[in-house]
Amino acid sequence: MAENKKKVEVNVDPARVQPGEDAFTPLVDIFEQADGTTVLLAEVPGAKSESVDVRVDKGVLTITADGRREPMGEDYARTYTGFMGGQFFRAFALSDEVDRDNIQASLSDGLLRVNLPRAEAAQTRKIEISDG
Amino acid sequence: MATLFRWPGNWDPFAGLRVMQRELERLSGRGGFGEGRNIGGGVFPPVNVYNGPAELVVECEVAGVKREDVDLSITGETLVVKGVKHPAGATEEKAESDIRYQRCERGSGEFSRTIVLPDKVDPDRISASLIDGILTVRLPKSQAALPKKINVK
Repeated sequence: MAENKKKVEVNVDPARVQPGEDAFTPLVDIFEQADGTTVLLAEVPGAKSESVDVRVDKGVLTITADGRREPMGEDYARTYTGFMGGQFFRAFALSDEVDRDNIQASLSDGLLRVNLPRAEAAQTRKIEISDG
Repeated sequence: MATLFRWPGNWDPFAGLRVMQRELERLSGRGGFGEGRNIGGGVFPPVNVYNGPAELVVECEVAGVKREDVDLSITGETLVVKGVKHPAGATEEKAESDIRYQRCERGSGEFSRTIVLPDKVDPDRISASLIDGILTVRLPKSQAALPKKINVK
């Protein structure tokens, strides 16, 4: 029998959520406004604004949020459980048309809104072919 | 003709369909936790009910729903949470059909959930709060539902 070697990775920094089975995938709406700005809405119920992290790295927009809550305590029996608090993680590949320096994010009522404005320089550029 | 289409009481002709949709969503892993690891049930908000020593606590996940759009009522031991989830572009003063979605997962529309409470509660002392998209309703149990010590002579 072959020895089963498994590499176990431990997440030592709980503030930064990693993609994995412990994080929820938030539901999102993505639509375009009349001015060309793409709006991304993500549902992160229970997350406070200080726990929400939106960043762009190598053309990938990453959203992490912490919606974990204090447990109700031992005196409280669960009669019905439909949802749990948890961490949120979702990543999106950004188009080159997005102006990465002017991305804005806001949070209200458990809904994260990320405005992705269109870059001015996203126009088509003609490339001259020089004579070899 | 009119009498044919008058439903008795508050019977919902689409209740059966809605139950079927919910079951299908549950089977496909959407809306539940476990297989899909998704949170939120589109327009059908998930609910938690806790039974404490002196109160019941009902939590309802309504991300993106404003306070004025939530309607909470109680009749006896039946708590009803109603509300409206507006479409994403509603703040942009545009009709929903004009929005060019690239992705539309959240869903919108009216929702209603009826929760039958496991104990009698005092309807005058109920408090509710909506913080970060989670509606928390605290329902203190009525005196009749609390355990009473009986002295043995």
